[in-house]
Amino acid sequence: MSIEVLNLSHSYKIGTPFEHKVLHDVSFSIADGQFVGLIGPTRSGKTTLAQYLNALYIPRKGKVLIDGENTADRRADLVTIRHRVGYVFQNPEYQLFAPTVGEDIAFGPTNQNLPREEIDKLVKNAMEMVGLDYETFKTRDIFALSGGQKRRAAIAGVLACRPKVLVLDDITAGLDPRGREEIMDVVKSLHQQQNITILFISNSMDDVALLAERLLVMDNGKIIMDGPTREVFARTEELRAIGLELPEVSIIVDRLRSAGFQLPAGILTVDEAISEIAAFLKDKEAREQWS
Amino acid sequence: MIEPQGCDNLEKTIETKNLSYAYRSGTDKEVRALRDVNMNVFKGEILAITGQNGSGKSTLARHFNGLLTPTGGEVLVKGLSTNDKNNIGTIRKIVGMVFQNPDNQLVSSVVEEDIAFGPENLGLPQAEIIDRVNWALHTLKLEDLRRESPHSLSAGQKQQVAIAGVLAMKPECIILDEPTAHLDPRGRREVLESAIRLNREEGITMVLLTHFMNEVIYCNRMIVMDGGTIKMEGTPKEVFHQGVKESQTIKDMGLDFPVASQLAAGLQEEGFTVSPDIIHNEELINNLCQLKS
Amino acid sequence: MELTKNITLGVYLPGETRVHRLDPRTKIIGAFILIVLLLLARSYAAYGMVTLFIAFLVFISGIPPGYALRGLKPMLPVLLLMWIFQLFLHQSPDTAVLFRWWIFEATEAGLHMGNLIILRVLFLFTVTTLLTLTTSVVSLTDGLENLLKPLRSLGLPSHELVMTLVIALRFVLILAEELEKIMKAQMARGVAFDRGNFIQKTRKIFPVFLPLFIGAFKRAEELIVAMDARSYTGGKGRTKMKTLHMGRVDLAAALIMLFFTGLMIYVIVTYEPFI
Repeated sequence: MSIEVLNLSHSYKIGTPFEHKVLHDVSFSIADGQFVGLIGPTRSGKTTLAQYLNALYIPRKGKVLIDGENTADRRADLVTIRHRVGYVFQNPEYQLFAPTVGEDIAFGPTNQNLPREEIDKLVKNAMEMVGLDYETFKTRDIFALSGGQKRRAAIAGVLACRPKVLVLDDITAGLDPRGREEIMDVVKSLHQQQNITILFISNSMDDVALLAERLLVMDNGKIIMDGPTREVFARTEELRAIGLELPEVSIIVDRLRSAGFQLPAGILTVDEAISEIAAFLKDKEAREQWS
Repeated sequence: MIEPQGCDNLEKTIETKNLSYAYRSGTDKEVRALRDVNMNVFKGEILAITGQNGSGKSTLARHFNGLLTPTGGEVLVKGLSTNDKNNIGTIRKIVGMVFQNPDNQLVSSVVEEDIAFGPENLGLPQAEIIDRVNWALHTLKLEDLRRESPHSLSAGQKQQVAIAGVLAMKPECIILDEPTAHLDPRGRREVLESAIRLNREEGITMVLLTHFMNEVIYCNRMIVMDGGTIKMEGTPKEVFHQGVKESQTIKDMGLDFPVASQLAAGLQEEGFTVSPDIIHNEELINNLCQLKS
Repeated sequence: MELTKNITLGVYLPGETRVHRLDPRTKIIGAFILIVLLLLARSYAAYGMVTLFIAFLVFISGIPPGYALRGLKPMLPVLLLMWIFQLFLHQSPDTAVLFRWWIFEATEAGLHMGNLIILRVLFLFTVTTLLTLTTSVVSLTDGLENLLKPLRSLGLPSHELVMTLVIALRFVLILAEELEKIMKAQMARGVAFDRGNFIQKTRKIFPVFLPLFIGAFKRAEELIVAMDARSYTGGKGRTKMKTLHMGRVDLAAALIMLFFTGLMIYVIVTYEPFI
């Protein structure tokens, strides 16, 4: 399932004194199965752009094609598009409303008018994908869940619609390190095992470095960088100029390189850093022994 | 209890004695959020309180300015007990608080008016209010934004306004409850810098609740909470070092190590002589440079 | 989908026009007088006068006219309903019947009553919106409080009342924001709010209603806690950063208002009320 965005522009509060443009002529595409990270300072237009992908906004200027289908087309079935492109909002736990977890997760499939047994199966699968045991949680009161569990339940609610593409909007915000790790594991398995295409919006450079193969960087409503994650994070000065930062590991490696360590560009994880630094130091030792 | 190094004196701004707190106390839905907590906040320090969601850290923080009162035990702010309602007014002048969501803290539609809200509540004379507002704007570098509507500011800027609003009350201690949770990297950096500056230059005691390990390392001391009790306490070096030794402890409590510590530990395993208690990037880089030469 | 765009009540549009610079008390009293005149007006001539005056106000306050009217958009369906009700159901002895539809009779009196109600609501809303667009929260609070001060000796908690009113106004926008968020979240799960018959559409409200309330309450609670933490204990002992003082602008405004009131009274007395 592919996504194409062409020359998209968007203004808020058109016709009021508060009118302002948040997207300026944005174009990019996402191929089936990709894991794309979307980063940028707050108010750069990330969420607005993402909400075009599941047709919550219809383009007035520009085009959005979901699997070839133009969302602005009058005949476009927006409801189906929204099932195919799932969207998990920031702090999604606030959208929970049903008496029990099971019922809330079933909301999406129920809107698709599927038979009861199929809905139950979808709910069960979705819950398993996020690590909420079906039998334990399906009848539990949503208000009896912890924050992290609520968030997972909200994500399951979107997964139950069997989306081919998932837009995840800052879903690790406010979570403790373990909670973040758990959610990131879920996201990883959704990408690798379920083959879901993922657009991952985040303010955490570390999260994005972990899983994204490609990065889109936005600033002031424009995409200013689009490329493999390692390459984008190599553009340190440009990123810092717009208020972003490198993943913590990369910051350290960057400093070491300025101090004379010959390390390859684009190190993004702790394990990579350890092996590269170790290799460099052992190498140096070896060469010094010979000389 | 461990006392901080590098502080002028060991005066306790805040002290808890056998503090317990239960939600819906006395009913069958009672939830014990804090169990017999004994801790201090020393004057002049930056104290980090960490712990996974549900560990009780937010509940604990809300006892420091009397937003919550203990169901068992006592909380003293400069010797005044929060159990006595008459003390709460004074206590809130001593201990200010900044919350996670900037949108739900700001009262007014103009930045300088919102900052004045606190001093106005204190019944200060007009000239003094104006002085304090100017001072707070200046200290947090918000002068250019003074007549703006908070609505038009970024989340990071709004948080700075919230801090300015608390600062204008000239508290001795400011509690920051996960102030950077919803900010972008620049916003996080600016808020952390402000907190450190307020501590170092204005001498304000800071209590920082956070999940970000790269914020914790700038604190004098840290406390790790789990299940309503304090599980670990000490300087960040001490706590993380202990965590490394006991391998899983930190992770069991839902936390993580600073990246510099992780690299140090990994390189140690590879056989390099790396100091075991590294937590700052600087230390790691210096250490590695020494190994290189 | 952008619900908050059409919310103008409770929004402050910063500016430096004369209207912005007026003492809030002048504006509040002016608005009050305008509303009283509105309620007394019952002829189309009188409403014509009011329209002209409000147009004048919009012009000098620098508020784009289109924006001032925008807040009316959400109300239009309800207003239409009210008008139809009056047209067919207003009881009045010996009035001409305009036409019949099914079992209902549209009367002339009903037509005029419908017009009256709609005009009143529209103008009431516009006057209030103009007030909030040109006056910041704190100014409004200060002004209202100052005006209500004499009533404190009668036991009226003027500050607290005013604070409640002002925060309620703010929450108009906050509720719209929350509603938009939640509708989007449920739309993302396949709810089509624009499809279905009346009953189906009504059922779709529930997944929005509960989270909306919870969301709004949560935000309100957080705001209260934050205010508490900044030592807010109500009006007692509270001082103000800004003092209110009337200036030449206010004198000019008072004179204009006086003139207009005189004119209105003349028009009201002279022209036949339509109902």
